[in-house]
Amino acid sequence: MKYKNNMTFTIIFVVLQGKKKEGNAAKYVTRSQAVKDLQVSLPVFRKLCILKGVFPREPKKKVKGNHHSYYHLKDIMFLKHEPLLEKLRDMRTYERKVKKAMSKKNRDLAERLLTRKPTYTLDRLIQERWVLVGFKCFFFFLILACYFNALACADVPQFLELGFRYPKFVDALRDLDDCLSMVHLFAALPAVDRAVDGEKIPVKRVHHCRRLSHEWQAYITRTHKLRKTFVSVKGIYYQAEVEGQKITWLTPHALQQVLPEVDYRVLLTFLEFYETLLGFVNYKLYSSINVKYPPILDPRLEALAADLYALSRYFDASAQGSSLKITSGQQDGENLDESELRLAQLQQQLPSNEPGALMHLVEDAANEDEEDAETRECKNLFKNLKVYLSREVPRESLLFIIPAFGGTVSWEGEGAPFDESDQSITHQVVDRPTQGRKFLSRDYVQPQWIYDCVNARIILPTEKYMVGCVPPPHLSPFVDNEAEGHIPEYAEAIERLKAAERKEVLPLPGMGKEDLDDPHSILGIIDRAEAIEAAERKRKMSNLEKQYHEELKREVKGAVYKAPSSEIEGGEGDTEGDTGPDLDQITKDNASMSKVSMPRRKRKLYEAMEIGKERKQAYVHRLKERKKKIDEAKKSA
Amino acid sequence: MKAPRRNGSEKPKNENLKKSLEKLKANNIEEIVKRIEDAEETVVGSSEDSPFYPSSEEYDDDESLSKDDGSIIESGSQQSDLSEDEDSVHSRDDDDESSGSDDDNPSGGNDHGSGDSVSEDEGNDNRHAEDNLGESDDSREIVEESDSSEDEVTPRNTIGDVPLEWYKDEEHIGYDRAGKKIKKKERQSKLDSFLASVDDSKNWRKIYDDYNDEEVELTKEETKLIRRLLKGKAPHADFDPYAPYVDWFDWDGAKHPLSNAPEPKRRFIPSKWESKTVLRYVRAIRKGLIKFDDKPKEEPKFYALWDDSTSAERQGLAYIPAPKPKLPGHEESYNPSPEYIPTQEEINSYQLMFEEDQPKFIPKQFNSLRSVPSYDKAVQETFDRCLDLYLCPRVRKKRINIDPESLKPKLPSRKDLKPYPTTCYLEYKGHTGPIMSISTDPTGQWIASGSADGTVRIWEVETGRCLRVWDIGETIAEVAWNPLPELPILALAAGEDVFILNTKVGSGEQEEKIDELLNVDHQVATVESDTSASIVSWGHYDKHGGIRLKHFKKVTKVEWHRKGDYLSTLISVLIHQLSKRLTQRVPFKTKGIPVSIAFHPTRSIFFTATKKVVRVYDLLKQKLIKKLDAGVREISSIAIHPGGDNAIVGSTDGKLCWFDMDLSTRPYKVLRCHPKDITRVAYHRSYPLFASCSDDCTSYVFHGMVYSDMNQNPLIVPLEILRGHATAGGRGVLDCKFHPRQPWLFTAGADSLIKLYCH
Repeated sequence: MKYKNNMTFTIIFVVLQGKKKEGNAAKYVTRSQAVKDLQVSLPVFRKLCILKGVFPREPKKKVKGNHHSYYHLKDIMFLKHEPLLEKLRDMRTYERKVKKAMSKKNRDLAERLLTRKPTYTLDRLIQERWVLVGFKCFFFFLILACYFNALACADVPQFLELGFRYPKFVDALRDLDDCLSMVHLFAALPAVDRAVDGEKIPVKRVHHCRRLSHEWQAYITRTHKLRKTFVSVKGIYYQAEVEGQKITWLTPHALQQVLPEVDYRVLLTFLEFYETLLGFVNYKLYSSINVKYPPILDPRLEALAADLYALSRYFDASAQGSSLKITSGQQDGENLDESELRLAQLQQQLPSNEPGALMHLVEDAANEDEEDAETRECKNLFKNLKVYLSREVPRESLLFIIPAFGGTVSWEGEGAPFDESDQSITHQVVDRPTQGRKFLSRDYVQPQWIYDCVNARIILPTEKYMVGCVPPPHLSPFVDNEAEGHIPEYAEAIERLKAAERKEVLPLPGMGKEDLDDPHSILGIIDRAEAIEAAERKRKMSNLEKQYHEELKREVKGAVYKAPSSEIEGGEGDTEGDTGPDLDQITKDNASMSKVSMPRRKRKLYEAMEIGKERKQAYVHRLKERKKKIDEAKKSA
Repeated sequence: MKAPRRNGSEKPKNENLKKSLEKLKANNIEEIVKRIEDAEETVVGSSEDSPFYPSSEEYDDDESLSKDDGSIIESGSQQSDLSEDEDSVHSRDDDDESSGSDDDNPSGGNDHGSGDSVSEDEGNDNRHAEDNLGESDDSREIVEESDSSEDEVTPRNTIGDVPLEWYKDEEHIGYDRAGKKIKKKERQSKLDSFLASVDDSKNWRKIYDDYNDEEVELTKEETKLIRRLLKGKAPHADFDPYAPYVDWFDWDGAKHPLSNAPEPKRRFIPSKWESKTVLRYVRAIRKGLIKFDDKPKEEPKFYALWDDSTSAERQGLAYIPAPKPKLPGHEESYNPSPEYIPTQEEINSYQLMFEEDQPKFIPKQFNSLRSVPSYDKAVQETFDRCLDLYLCPRVRKKRINIDPESLKPKLPSRKDLKPYPTTCYLEYKGHTGPIMSISTDPTGQWIASGSADGTVRIWEVETGRCLRVWDIGETIAEVAWNPLPELPILALAAGEDVFILNTKVGSGEQEEKIDELLNVDHQVATVESDTSASIVSWGHYDKHGGIRLKHFKKVTKVEWHRKGDYLSTLISVLIHQLSKRLTQRVPFKTKGIPVSIAFHPTRSIFFTATKKVVRVYDLLKQKLIKKLDAGVREISSIAIHPGGDNAIVGSTDGKLCWFDMDLSTRPYKVLRCHPKDITRVAYHRSYPLFASCSDDCTSYVFHGMVYSDMNQNPLIVPLEILRGHATAGGRGVLDCKFHPRQPWLFTAGADSLIKLYCH
């Protein structure tokens, strides 16, 4: 009887206590669990995750199996207390109301509802801090609720520990790569009413993306933060350095883009966040150089799709305006519209043919002190250049790059600051098979020249970039040639030119590839020859040594040669056989011997590393082979 | 004759009649319609003026008739000028009802008395007339349609309501009142009718009425009526289906109101609720809750989100930033160096690869920037990146950015560990088969080797001279020198026998001793020891002298005890005592098939290695001391360190396990050196060296230092890989032994060579 009682007690105890959850089982939930917990549909959950930056994590132990994605419970709690969740629910009910009204032919109600569409902003999500009063109240209330309800206390600590997405500006800059690439891509996309998935790409957003991207580019140009550019098949890569962060983005070529069948809802949700983020980043950047943020552009230039130029003029104008303000005294604040108007007027007054000169005027000395050496270098790269763009070259890209490196630029078309007949133009960028009319005072170059100059940070000789010829290979500035193991020919040539520049010796314009090649090849040959010689010497030495030792040994032991000829021959034959693959064999033996005594884990890691290394070497080897073949073909031809 | 027949089948007759009528009507109507349509084309021009009115008499007659009938068609407008056909079309129900009554009238007038007197009179008149007609003209068919409606003339048909097809084949059409046959009317010949139609312009309006057997000519009104009917309109032109409703009730003259209640007060005072609502709206407007602005004022979207004072640090869960996308290399350039562009063969070879292995991007050269097309995967790649960003689990991983060389353990320089065998110094040639086993003389002057060719040879170490050859005739599995230097005898295992031979390399005294030792057994050969008698028999080996121990099974291993008196052989483990000619089994059970055996170098401890484990037995206490678990696939050999506390075990999966038996029963270190089976492992007796040899034709030499300090683990350093043997029959080096005094190593290979490696 007693025993039975005990049993029942234990059973009850177990039931009450439930399954004890600890460790990974308690910390991580699968996606379906999370969706169920949040009581949202999967698309909403997806949207929330994208906007809040919640991603699955990899638990050490996957409790539910390998084929699930796991979210940290804290992340889910973080979503659960997100006001946006409520907003999304509101929107859903609102849409239902509208639909219902429409289907009941209650047009009045539908129209009234349409004017009251609930909206949300993503400001808070970027910095993710509880600053709003209302939210604070909500917060407090929740804490109270949790306090009284002791059982619910489980989620309180999680709630208190909020993960900040970009608490500092630098954090935002660090994550800006994807944002910029996407915004630039959408700026180039066609605005379609019904894309493949039935999802709209509204015109408004495409325009907004364009605007944002131009604002960003204008800032980079203005502050000369651009560092590297690279024209790839996928588009044009740019790398800028803002506040010590290297930001790389890709802009597609300015051509009709292909719209494949993808889920545009996901893309647009990402874009929604990125637009907001870039807006705030731009605001911060603009305010850091004392320019009012949403810039008011010259409508004339905007209409001509010369936004970037318009923006640069806006900068000039605002700089002038601010200086004016300082002299005339403060009167801003109360009538913003007036000052805006005045700014626009100022833009109109600016002499339209000399934006570059104005820029120089406005630049103040204090600013220059702040700049690091690299910025100064970049700023002065195209300082004395006046570039004119023909209509077939990618205008937007070059309009962005050339001013960023201190050059003055104009283009063929309306609204251009100066036209083709300007005598002070030093370079004209053309991309056509032949150039009919030529000014003798200027160099005609292909657009690649600009990009290569930027990457090399010197003004390259223009001979190879003449109109009609195939330009030299365009190399990626993002590759560390030394580490890669293979240095393309033209990279070496550029290095040489750079070295010459540093020594203040101008490179001869007629210096061809052959000239550059020679020293290297000779050097290489010397190296190789030396190596081979050394190896041979070593081998000989070792052979001699061996022989000597053998003889010595025999002498010491005073052994009687029973069958001296055969034995010694055999021995010698053997040693000779050994020396054949000697060097190779020895290195291999050494490697394997050191491997023998390694623990298994380390050995596996080592082997993996070796494989990676070998693969890399194989790639380099393949490149070299190809190079050799090409050279041979050239020579024979 | 007629009456009963009719009475008997009144109903069916009626039905039949109806059917035939319908048919007839349909025919007639069609005909009329056709004719009307034809006429419209031909006659329309003239028909306007040509009056088609019927004669006034007829008209009047009809009207009066229908009036008298009292059956008003619809709206009181007395239109009686319907022909029978038309009538039948639009009031068929009436026909059904009335056919019984009206049609009975003429035939059986007496049983029906409900008709008006006038109509009856008229009917009678008609009948009379027709009778006369019929009488006068017999050939005429007097067939009248029975269902002429109320407004229509009474049927002139005298034959009654009889289906006409009854008389189809008869000459007559029926019977008149008097019972005379009524002859069928002569049919107008086709030619005549055609001529008539040509002559008479009104012929298109004429219809032949089967039932009354007469030609009827339609009036203009009638054709109009038909036309209207065809269009689906009301038959009469004056009828307005959408006439305004005329309220018949005369409201004005009403004496009493419907409700006499006085007008309520609320009609005269402003609504309270309305004012409240208005007030609510007013308040809302004042408060600004209701805005009349259509567009809400645009608030500045962006503001200083990050102010400089924020010292916010990330809290809670660590935010793991996504790895940045890979930066493009030279090959992604629009104009890459030519060496980055794969050749056509390489591109073709990509097709043969698995889809995952195929390169995602194939470099291509464009001669100018203007020829670069838009990248078709731009959106796709962005989308993929987005998916990666929100779907991929992120985890912080330490990126190992180390030199792989630093992973290698730091070992003392090999130069400091000299001397050790490095180079092949001598080869001992002479065997013709793979050398299975070698053994060194404890003095270090001789080595013995046993080969698969059935010979055992004794070589002088320093010269390579072959001192002696015994031909046993069977594959030698193992040779072993007695460890006592004063007793230079050799034990060898060949087939099922173990031989103990005198090598005759000793001095004279030793020779005598040995002879004595080996000879004695000749007499005592029959002495049987306890249990093992059945397994082993001691005997004299006649061929080369010495002892022959015959086993019942193949012997694979021979091992001497350090004192040189015992030797152990391996089938199941047996221990033989040479001096007493005794054989005994090991006094404990060995589990599994033993692979190798070894004596402890200093104590009376015995090792047996099965395929998986090494068991350590105490011979004196006769019990198991330890079980060493190597954790390898299959143990092939074992060697005991001269100190006795360490052992090495070689396995068939190429692993060499060092056991520190004081430390653990698991290997202290596993060296994975050979890719193939390890055949033999060996310790040097005095130098801190050990070696392993394997079927991959190499042997490794290791430095294996065992310190007397118990706290210090043995130091193991791989020193040298010795090569030189060639593979033969899939086997490489079969045995290795150290020289007892020098740091030299002998290896015996399957290529029938013995090599000596010296330092």
